[in-house]
Amino acid sequence: MDREHHEMSRSRLEEIIEEHCRRGRWALIPLIQEIQEENGYIDPAVIPVIAEKLKIFPSAVQGVISFYAQLYTEPRGRNTIRLCRGTACHVRGGKTILKLIKERLDIEEGETTADLEYTLETVACLGVCALAPSMMINQQVFGRMNPKKVGQILKRKGEDHEPA
Amino acid sequence: MQAVTLTINQQEVSGPPGQTILELARESGIAIPTLCHHALLSPLGGCRICIVENEANGALLASCVTAIAPGMIINTRSPRVQEHRRMILKMMLASHPDSCLVCDKGNRCELRQLAAELGIGLIELDRIPQAAVTEELNPFLVRDGSKCILCARCIRACQELVVVGALDYFGRGFKTKAATLFQAPLENSACTFCGTCVALCPTGALMEKEPLYRGSVGSAVESICPYCSCGCSISLEVKDNRVVRVMPGKDPGAPESLCVKGSYGCDFIHSPERLTVPLIREGEGFREASWKEALAVAAAALQGIRKDQGAESLAFFGSANCTNEENYLFQRFTRTVLRTNNLDNGSSLYYAAARRGFHEVVGFPTVTYPLGDLALADLIIVIGADPTASAPLVDYGIRRAVTAGGAKLIVIDPRETGLAFFAHRRLQPAVGTDLALLKAMAAVIIEENLTDREFIARKTENYRALLRSLEGFSLESAAAATGISAAQIVDAARLYATADKGAIVFGTGIMQQARGVEAVKALLNLALLTGHIWREGGGIWALLRECNAQGAGDMGMLPNFLPGRQDLQDPPARERFEARWRCTLPTAPGKGAAEMITAAEKGEIRGMIVAGENPAAAFPRSSRVKEALGGLDFLLVLDIFMTDTAGLADVILPAASFAEKEGAFTGLDGRVRQIRRAVDPPGECRPDWQIILELAAAMDHPLPFSSPGQIRKEIEDLIPFYRDEGSEVNLEGDAFWESGPDRKPPLKRFPAFTAIGDLLPPPAPNPDYPFILLAESTLFHAGSGSRSARSPRLSRFTPHYCFVKMNRADARRLALQSGDVVAIISENGRLTAVVSCDGALPEGVLSLPRSRIDHPLAALFSSPVEEDALSSALKKCYVRIERSGNDGSGAS
Ligand code: SF4
Ligand code: SF4
Ligand code: SF4
Ligand code: FES
Ligand code: FES
Repeated sequence: MDREHHEMSRSRLEEIIEEHCRRGRWALIPLIQEIQEENGYIDPAVIPVIAEKLKIFPSAVQGVISFYAQLYTEPRGRNTIRLCRGTACHVRGGKTILKLIKERLDIEEGETTADLEYTLETVACLGVCALAPSMMINQQVFGRMNPKKVGQILKRKGEDHEPA
Repeated sequence: MQAVTLTINQQEVSGPPGQTILELARESGIAIPTLCHHALLSPLGGCRICIVENEANGALLASCVTAIAPGMIINTRSPRVQEHRRMILKMMLASHPDSCLVCDKGNRCELRQLAAELGIGLIELDRIPQAAVTEELNPFLVRDGSKCILCARCIRACQELVVVGALDYFGRGFKTKAATLFQAPLENSACTFCGTCVALCPTGALMEKEPLYRGSVGSAVESICPYCSCGCSISLEVKDNRVVRVMPGKDPGAPESLCVKGSYGCDFIHSPERLTVPLIREGEGFREASWKEALAVAAAALQGIRKDQGAESLAFFGSANCTNEENYLFQRFTRTVLRTNNLDNGSSLYYAAARRGFHEVVGFPTVTYPLGDLALADLIIVIGADPTASAPLVDYGIRRAVTAGGAKLIVIDPRETGLAFFAHRRLQPAVGTDLALLKAMAAVIIEENLTDREFIARKTENYRALLRSLEGFSLESAAAATGISAAQIVDAARLYATADKGAIVFGTGIMQQARGVEAVKALLNLALLTGHIWREGGGIWALLRECNAQGAGDMGMLPNFLPGRQDLQDPPARERFEARWRCTLPTAPGKGAAEMITAAEKGEIRGMIVAGENPAAAFPRSSRVKEALGGLDFLLVLDIFMTDTAGLADVILPAASFAEKEGAFTGLDGRVRQIRRAVDPPGECRPDWQIILELAAAMDHPLPFSSPGQIRKEIEDLIPFYRDEGSEVNLEGDAFWESGPDRKPPLKRFPAFTAIGDLLPPPAPNPDYPFILLAESTLFHAGSGSRSARSPRLSRFTPHYCFVKMNRADARRLALQSGDVVAIISENGRLTAVVSCDGALPEGVLSLPRSRIDHPLAALFSSPVEEDALSSALKKCYVRIERSGNDGSGAS
């Protein structure tokens, strides 16, 4: 699948919905998941289409999407940074690392860079406190972070991290 | 099933299995506080304030969602329970702003009531947390998230009662809130501003905007909404002789929902534009006069005309917005004092054809069913109607039948109506081809042997004529005419015929067409073929418009019907009224609304009384109507506002509004219910009934009444099915056939099938006027707008220009886009409008929402000569569109 492609065509959307519709209205969550899997995120514009097909109020479809942290209504970066804000990391300068990443990528927590390379999130504890301050990019853990490492690890466009 | 026995607060009680602890406790007179629970809504069990202790095992239970079980020992106020309750409430209050003192919910806030009950002091600060108020432009309601306790009553009200679904939870955890789709302001959401969520919100999180009064209101008067014929019961909250708020009424049968007009549109009663003194014409203007003088002038003029030109040169055009008592009086006055049958009411503008259709089939001009029956239907056909805009309570009922009751819904309309989202089948016949579709459905039902043979044999007549008329009829020709495939027609016919309880709801799209009488009869054919008539859950509902359209007809405010839906030409019926009124009645057929105007034009009608109607704006080709009315020797107008018609009058008498008088309205479902005086009329206004009594006296022909109560007494004497206040006038059930209990009018004969004539090919398109323009009801506007346009809140929400909806392809062909200003030109007139592209309209069809009074849509329509044709002339006309350099500020 082309991961750059974030616009799902209406006909493909309808295809996915048709497949799911046969399973009745409780197919809503798997349906949304499939759309996200294929598209990377759930474009809010598809909400009314889903609602119409499943005969569920659009506001209710939105309510379900908003309930799950793993469902996104905005495009996600190709890579997700999860920076630890746990206590151990905090006392060892995790806050500075966060600030540096934010400055470098020019985004806030929860946001995605304009070129869709990175999405920045923070988490409570990555469970690798011995390596504090730590962060993850996709599935790869980076420990003992320092300002210099931030610059080295965050790639320039085109270079790939280990996939998610 | 065996009752479950348990104890609550040491009292032994029992209830049916499945009942909740809360329900049983309340039944037994034991109070348990609740917040998220509401009897009309599905259970949620969210807030836990209703917690009780089961002393048998020490469990704490949310009583609103826990079913009773044998052996429970429930304590609703043990120290443990009280402690938990206080803690829950404190937690809610902790995140609540300390602005109770200035909160407009005031003593109505259930949170505050509960805090007082549980002895939790409120920190009395007067800071208003502005940040949480959602900035919204609508003039109806305001949301303040900081006061929200997430009880979801609003969400459930919106989803379950009015079934609009504008709101749902959004987000998780602390960030959760009730939000619209895309978190848009309400005015950009699906919200219809019905106010139901406001009525049900226990806190100040949802409130009416711009309250007319801040604080708790002393008295509330139960009444009936003055707008549409759904007849919602409303509660008028009064302070200092002003109606300051309208809430859903306390009528036990009514769901706590109104529409925007009922909730926020009654503010017209305090409009500064109200007429307050009698006015007599002087040159181009009017001068104020005393009642005595104005009545004397009117009486003399009417008597003069009757003497010189005969009674047939007089006419009375009354109102479907006036009470039953008033309508009864109007017709008695016209028939016995003016001595003519030239009388009619405003509902004939759209309903005349349907009355005739019903009369010819069942012997009565109308048939009514309880609205609640819709909930029992398992299949509903909605045809030529957009109840979402024109009869909101019917719309809610249909939505609930579909979403909660599992009914199937077939929507038949060329336009995409508000119910389309819920439809299982949508048929879009070409404009004006319903008759072909209905005829085809009848043919399919007969062909496939889906008829109710026993019903047809025992309880109907004329079946053979119907069969004969269908000989040689081909499904394909109907498919070709309507643009609906034969398979879809067959499918719809089967669904209806095989339903257990099939209901039909039809509106002006059926009544207001050139062959409206036949279309209504074709619908009745379907009901008679399948027996879906006079059966619980199966029936035919005609969507009437005005609050008392049903009552005006029942009271005989029709040229050819006496009170009680009795035929004027039926001698025994006439004799009964003659005996009571001690006179002989005029027998010459009366002139209805359309004929009155034509006769006025020709000079045959010389004097008219118009009460509570505005023909100069509501009739087709308004300029012609104005000329006709202006040319009368004498025009008397009774109204609450200076309407276009009043502007033409010789004498204007200021009337009292619905909130200032007593009487009854009959809803479209036949329920007769009281309106009550809530405030004093402004200035010198008097109720219409009083004015007519005084006019009769001034004409030396006093009528034997001095109060609405006395008039009601006579109505009850003469109309058996009005004998019981609050009764349902309905013709359902077998009792009807044997002329049964008193309240049901005896059937004079069996209903008869109608042979539907051949379908004429559609008229050749006129290249000069290539578009079909349909007039469309809108939610924020009623009738000719004399009241809704003077409701400060409703009128502020209607756009100040008029819109014409157009298919995108048509727009592209004319190089137009949304927002362009165009002139709509018909043979009769022109109107300036702003284009709004609408994907849902068929090509070649334009739709124009009826809106403000200064956009006289009626000017475009051609005026018919015949009574039956009047209604069709107000629905559809042929137009062309021209780009206009105009600024779009209104009619030209
Ligand atoms: S707005 Fe009112 S009704 Fe809705 S969830 Fe909040 S408190 Fe409950
Ligand atoms: S006003 Fe009516 S439609 Fe709007 S949100 Fe409230 S309940 Fe729903
Ligand atoms: S549905 Fe009709 S009767 Fe009910 S509140 Fe609205 S306008 Fe009034
Ligand atoms: S605190 Fe950062 S990994 Fe545990
Ligand atoms: S009232 Fe029972 S849980 Fe809210």
